[in-house]
Amino acid sequence: MKPLLHRSPIVVAAAVLAAATLAACGDGTPTPRTSSAPAASVVRTLVLGAYTTPREAYGKAIIPAFQRYWKERTGEEVKFQESYLGSGAQSRAIVGGFEADIAALSLEADVESIAKAGLITHDWKAGTANGMVTRSIVVLAVRAGNPKGIRDWDDLRTPHLNVLTPNVRTSGGAMWNVCALYGAALRGQTSASKGEPSGAEQLLADVLRNVSVMDKGARESIVNFEKGVGDVAITYENEVLVGRQAGRDYEYVVPRSTILIENPVAVIDTYVDKHKSRDLAEGFVAFLRTPEAQRAFAQYGYRPVEETIAKEVEGHFPRVQDLFTVHDLGGWPEIQKTLFAPGAAYDRVTNSLGARQ
Amino acid sequence: MSNTRPAVAPGFGGLLVRAGVCAYVGALVALPLAALLAEGLGQGVRALWDAVSAPVAAEALRLTLTTAAIMALVNAVMGTATAWVLARYDFPGRGLLSALVDLPFAIPTLVTGVMLVLLFGPQSSLGGWFAAHGFPIAFAAPSIVLALLFITVPFVVRAVEPVLMEQDPAEEEAARTLGASTFTVFWRVLLPPLWPSLLSGTIRSYARALGEFGSIVVVSGNIPHRTLTAPIYVFGEIESGRSEVAAAISVVLLAVALGLTFGARAIERLTGTARA
Repeated sequence: MKPLLHRSPIVVAAAVLAAATLAACGDGTPTPRTSSAPAASVVRTLVLGAYTTPREAYGKAIIPAFQRYWKERTGEEVKFQESYLGSGAQSRAIVGGFEADIAALSLEADVESIAKAGLITHDWKAGTANGMVTRSIVVLAVRAGNPKGIRDWDDLRTPHLNVLTPNVRTSGGAMWNVCALYGAALRGQTSASKGEPSGAEQLLADVLRNVSVMDKGARESIVNFEKGVGDVAITYENEVLVGRQAGRDYEYVVPRSTILIENPVAVIDTYVDKHKSRDLAEGFVAFLRTPEAQRAFAQYGYRPVEETIAKEVEGHFPRVQDLFTVHDLGGWPEIQKTLFAPGAAYDRVTNSLGARQ
Repeated sequence: MSNTRPAVAPGFGGLLVRAGVCAYVGALVALPLAALLAEGLGQGVRALWDAVSAPVAAEALRLTLTTAAIMALVNAVMGTATAWVLARYDFPGRGLLSALVDLPFAIPTLVTGVMLVLLFGPQSSLGGWFAAHGFPIAFAAPSIVLALLFITVPFVVRAVEPVLMEQDPAEEEAARTLGASTFTVFWRVLLPPLWPSLLSGTIRSYARALGEFGSIVVVSGNIPHRTLTAPIYVFGEIESGRSEVAAAISVVLLAVALGLTFGARAIERLTGTARA
């Protein structure tokens, strides 16, 4: 098979040209343009870089509501470009050059790393609710009727129980789960003695030994649970509530002690200035804290950050006996150091599990 | 296929084509490799060793190398048998069989993972049966081997088949008429000319399996020390911002794959079945 190309460099030239043309066409990076089209209504674009779980809340309720709200106030049409990734991956994408106007992430630490990269220059935690927009708690999803009789963290130690929790290396949700379990143990709310890290590590080890699947993200994990894998899934309360709304028949158990999850939103200064969309982005973030948006979040299983709406929907969310926050565990930097850094508690526990097999 | 090199196109045009192709392959393959090596070896060999010898990493590498080895063994035997059936027999459905062999290359590996979970997950009747008999497949090590087998089906079959096609079936028949057992026919007549292509096909399937991600991340369960393979460990390290560790493990995988690829080429060259 003598290559035809050998005889006709022209073909090659044509191919190269074609490739170059394709490359040039492919160069259309999704930079939103606020074009001054002569049309009657101005169309503006807002790029939202979010984590995966609030996808339905944004897509189906909040974004359409904001578009109406903004149109009424300014007459401008707003088009959204939405991207949903794991919180950490989204944060790295934004740092790496994905020009999102707004970051809506799972972990404060993921917004902090965007700020550390110099892209957020204002004090994003100064505003309402310390920059947070939604809340949730870590709960235990169980099968209908709770056949395994799961009541609290200690029940997850039962030998041969099949537990799902995502991978802490890839999932913000997994970190919340580990914090909830570890924190509850440190606070003396489990069989481990209070303030004793070794007891908390032992609980973590016993639970991790029962984990059969560590998915990439919280969403994949709950999807696997919905497909019938596992007896218990450690997950967000809002994931379970959304699943139940969709007709799934699993239930959830609130442990006696669990962590309050708070999800941040921040305007990314560098990119809104570049896109000339600061007013729009700030308008959107402010809108997220209006009663209308907070109610929409509540409909999708999130606990509101606004006190009045929180009171209003109080009945929908079980009360937690001992609710603690990341600050009770010393804040994210401290948690990183003691729990998730290389060689810290989580690593030690994983390694000890390997050694015993 | 002849072993002689194609005639070189004379003149400037030919030179331009060669330079262009070298630049293309260089930029496409060699540059990213260089970037990985720079990152993986950038912290020094000591850091590379630390990354690789961390318990979870070492165990992930071991799991990847052993599951790929099991896959390669099965592939060598079953791939040869499949190629033999395709080359020697004509039967209804032969075309379909041949197409099925090629299909795994056309299926996104993520989809492979989803298919395996649907088939062998604990909620399926087949998966439930295996699990009930103490041999769970999905979210356990066997699923890794199954996924690897699926994605590498064509390698050995398509390497061995052309050699079998060139072989004269009369040799097998002659051996049989002379009273040789089926085993002797296989071992003394059929296999000797197949070795080089069989080895290189097997080695290439092994190298391909080392990097498999899409199907395994869905089907294996990804538990450190049990079902976490090296590529998924690498992914986790990237996701948690430890790209130097990810690069170090990648360098090891790359070194094994490169060594094997060159090995496969050497076998082909020595035995005159080289493709280039």
